[in-house]
Amino acid sequence: MAVRIFEPGDDYVLNHCTKYLSRAGLPPAPGDDARNESFRARIAEAWRFPIIGFMRDADADPDLNLVTFVYKTSPGDPRQVQVLGTFSELYRSISLAPVRFEDQDTGYRALSVGIPKAQVHTYKYVVDGRYVLDPINPQRVILGNGRPWSRFFTDGYLQPLVLEPWEIRLLYRLVEQILPFRGKEAENFLKRYYFGLNREQRKTDMPKAFRLDDSVGEVNAIDKFLAREEAHRLADYQLCLRQIDRALRRQNPVLEPADMPAQDFVELYEKMAKSHGSGDNPIPGWNYDEYGNPSFFLYILRRHAVTAAFAHPKYAGNVGAAGWAYLSERYSDPAAGTLFDWRPAIERPIGTSAYYR
Amino acid sequence: MQDSFDVIVVGSGAGGAPIAHRLVQAGHNVLVVDKGPLLRPHYEVPGERSDFRRDEIYASSTEKILHVPGLANTGVSYYSSHVEPDINDEPHVYKGPDGRDYGTIEGYTAQVVGGGTQLYGAVSLRFTPTDLRLKSFNDNRRKPIAHDPNGDIRREARDWPIDYRALEPYYVMAEEMVGINGTRENQQKPFSAVKYQKPLAPNPISSYAHDGMVELGKRLGPGIAPYRTPLAVITEDHPWSGRQIPRNAKGEPDPEAGKTSYVNRYGDPLGLKSSTWVALLSPIKDKPNFAIWPNCVVTHVVSEGAKVTGVRLLDPGGVERFVKAEIVVVACSAIESVRLLKLSAMADAEFDRRINRNPLLGRYFLTHCFGGARALMPKRFDKSKALDADWATDCCATEEFLEENGLWAGAAIYNNTSDQALPLSLFRTYGSQDLDTLWNGFMGATDMRGDRFIDFLDAEFGRGLSISFMANQVPQFDNRIELHPQIEDKWGRPVAYVIKGWHEHDRYLMDVMAKQCGDVLRYGGDPVGHDYQIEGQGSIYMAENALARMANHILGGARFGSDPNDSVLDPQCRVWEFDNLYVTDGAFMPTSGGANPTLTIQANSFRVADHLLTRI
Ligand SMILES: Cc1cc2nc3c(=O)[nH]c(=O)nc-3n(C[C@H](O)[C@H](O)[C@H](O)COP(=O)(O)OP(=O)(O)OC[C@H]3O[C@@H](n4cnc5c(N)ncnc54)[C@H](O)[C@@H]3O)c2cc1C
Repeated sequence: MAVRIFEPGDDYVLNHCTKYLSRAGLPPAPGDDARNESFRARIAEAWRFPIIGFMRDADADPDLNLVTFVYKTSPGDPRQVQVLGTFSELYRSISLAPVRFEDQDTGYRALSVGIPKAQVHTYKYVVDGRYVLDPINPQRVILGNGRPWSRFFTDGYLQPLVLEPWEIRLLYRLVEQILPFRGKEAENFLKRYYFGLNREQRKTDMPKAFRLDDSVGEVNAIDKFLAREEAHRLADYQLCLRQIDRALRRQNPVLEPADMPAQDFVELYEKMAKSHGSGDNPIPGWNYDEYGNPSFFLYILRRHAVTAAFAHPKYAGNVGAAGWAYLSERYSDPAAGTLFDWRPAIERPIGTSAYYR
Repeated sequence: MQDSFDVIVVGSGAGGAPIAHRLVQAGHNVLVVDKGPLLRPHYEVPGERSDFRRDEIYASSTEKILHVPGLANTGVSYYSSHVEPDINDEPHVYKGPDGRDYGTIEGYTAQVVGGGTQLYGAVSLRFTPTDLRLKSFNDNRRKPIAHDPNGDIRREARDWPIDYRALEPYYVMAEEMVGINGTRENQQKPFSAVKYQKPLAPNPISSYAHDGMVELGKRLGPGIAPYRTPLAVITEDHPWSGRQIPRNAKGEPDPEAGKTSYVNRYGDPLGLKSSTWVALLSPIKDKPNFAIWPNCVVTHVVSEGAKVTGVRLLDPGGVERFVKAEIVVVACSAIESVRLLKLSAMADAEFDRRINRNPLLGRYFLTHCFGGARALMPKRFDKSKALDADWATDCCATEEFLEENGLWAGAAIYNNTSDQALPLSLFRTYGSQDLDTLWNGFMGATDMRGDRFIDFLDAEFGRGLSISFMANQVPQFDNRIELHPQIEDKWGRPVAYVIKGWHEHDRYLMDVMAKQCGDVLRYGGDPVGHDYQIEGQGSIYMAENALARMANHILGGARFGSDPNDSVLDPQCRVWEFDNLYVTDGAFMPTSGGANPTLTIQANSFRVADHLLTRI
């Protein structure tokens, strides 16, 4: 598979780098894992790398993301930096080029390639012939052979990355208790809406989404936030879902948690809302040594659930903009039509803006 | 790399860009340095895709955690804009009511070419003549000032060294060159010329605000009526900057394209919002005598005796460079300008002696007294199609109103429509009105779920209307910007330390003004009984983190004046003890004005540009 290389310009790269990466001190030598780790820990938003951007030309390649690999070294560093990854032939590494400012080397090396949306890839840098993990991007996976690789995913990726299947099933049931998509009326709406999407959209969105009968794909988006922007919250989910599983089994010893009636989830939700610690309305089955504050987890989940349901579809929830469409249908006026006419502001093909791409 | 210019302007926002524009047009060699990226509107990008996105997560991000050690709120969550500095990298620290230090996102405008004008709500009001002469007004008033037992106001109020008449032509210039729509009629300020573009039809929900303001004006006396809030958004082609309204399929201009509610806290991908980049800098970008260096942070102003010789900066790769200039203009937004001057003084004893010839640098830091009222209106409207502030009134800015109420200064009142117009903003601002506490209300409202979630949406979506006031804050010597003794930014430079409190009169003034805002809604929502039920009214001093709040209006700290012992800058905004160093962001203001500050910052910069043209 031949990968397409693009040149968005040095300004583009620097516009993304300076705020996040520039700071006092030079990056440690490649391969010095401990020092690289502490270097990365000081970068406020290391997860922004590689940069998952959009193609500059909106119309030419609507299905690609512009992915920019950035390696930081010191100005004048003569070493070759290349990237090798599953987005291209695995035997061929591609060179990153020096990024210049006013004709001077900035020490950044970068490469931009077009990569289809909704994909996940692993890669490594090759620095003077030596294979190293991306010292900036915190996303790592251990592959079959036991070796760690750096990972990234493009917009709208709808397969789970960090949550286990049982965790996902449980989460959908919990999120249902928060968001409004569960009632008969909303379910009918979603069925109708997804069915009504044009063929093109259905082809791209539907097969990837999970449980679209009564959701807008929120848990998919939560999984993505936990894989990247909010990786610091993954531990909260892993710890709490274990407690939740246990508490539900205690509540209803007959059924598997994911198959329990909604009432069981409501009951647990209410208990969690009231329990801020082991001494405060303790929940039977919840191990407070493992996770001390059930209501705190509920807070995170509430924020994630609405963010996922109503943020731009590129974050992989709000599939086909169903969350927005739900509001737009619910709030309308016989004379004026919808009272949330979101489409004209948003780029095609999700929206209808004639100007904004 | 060119290393010498006639003029270096540090900061490309409201205070910096007007000067760069005028000097370049006059043929001078100008470098603008900004530490933020240069993000362009769609028409400047090959492929027509702007880096500004209509994406609610661009305005307030996913969760980040404050990691800076040693702060009382280390570990809290925050949600910042894609063009705000990251507070882990470059925190602002303020002293809380308990005397402990807290990190905050308040106090940054934006770190991007165009500065705060990229994100701003674009409300572009003039100050009133009285705003510029608050000392004289209060010295000669008939009735006493309320809630000022120690006479602080008479002691601390200052007249500006220029009066409204001197500033007025530059208001006209700014209104024309920046590109502002609005109406003049009913504004309580003299206009020598009206250069506004035509406003668009207001969002229908604003009619309640309009009616309430009409009624308020009648009740307060002479019947001062509302006017369309001047907004820095073009509604017609703008020859000064070459910007055009997008054309529809028939080839006709489609100014409604700007009404999206992705306005306040969003950069505008279409470039219709008049940021200083699209309005003033992009039009000169191809001139050979103009250079702009984004992604470069100025670390020091360098001087020899009374002459500033240039600036030291870190380029995008972090390499330190020295760039020479005949004149240096500092416009980093007041907190950061004060910080830059203090850091320059730390590095050089002579600079220190000159800039600190009196103890005023960083003192009399100001923001605004602000607050308002909110209600759920009887009918639902599509609030997602709006520019935000539709109507404004000056009925609380007249000298009669101030006399009558024992107030030292007045306020502008205007309505907002775009707040909570989009779904995520509705949720994340529920129960929390400021940036430091986003999401907290919604997260904790655990009983809002399932049907109650729908009840909430039914009650709120498309129905919220808020009325805001913006008023002068009493200047106090102790309200100040310092360098923090321990905490450093990612470059190892001490960060800004904000120490401020509210004066007793500020609280009183805010109560009075919040009541007027509440009344606008009470009158407007109920045209018969004039007693519409509102959600609440209040002001910033009541907030949990009241000491951090700044309304994004960062003013004072290097005030200008006629007396070198009582000011940091001379009437032309030149630092007294330097021949060629100017400060032109909001830092120059001795009082904060009874309106949003940006138009006045811009007008003053156009004025300083004229002065500079006489000396180079
Ligand atoms: C969300 C929001 C809404 C607002 N709404 C309104 C409104 O409706 N009406 C109104 O009047 N005002 C509004 N404001 C305030 C307005 O943005 C500011 O008043 C205005 O931008 C201040 O101008 P300035 O020149 O002082 O600073 P800025 O415009 O912020 O410019 C300062 C620039 O300096 C750069 N800089 C800082 N330090 C350095 C350094 N060391 N080296 C190089 N560059 C540096 C920054 O990156 C920035 O670009 C709003 C602000 C925000 C954030």
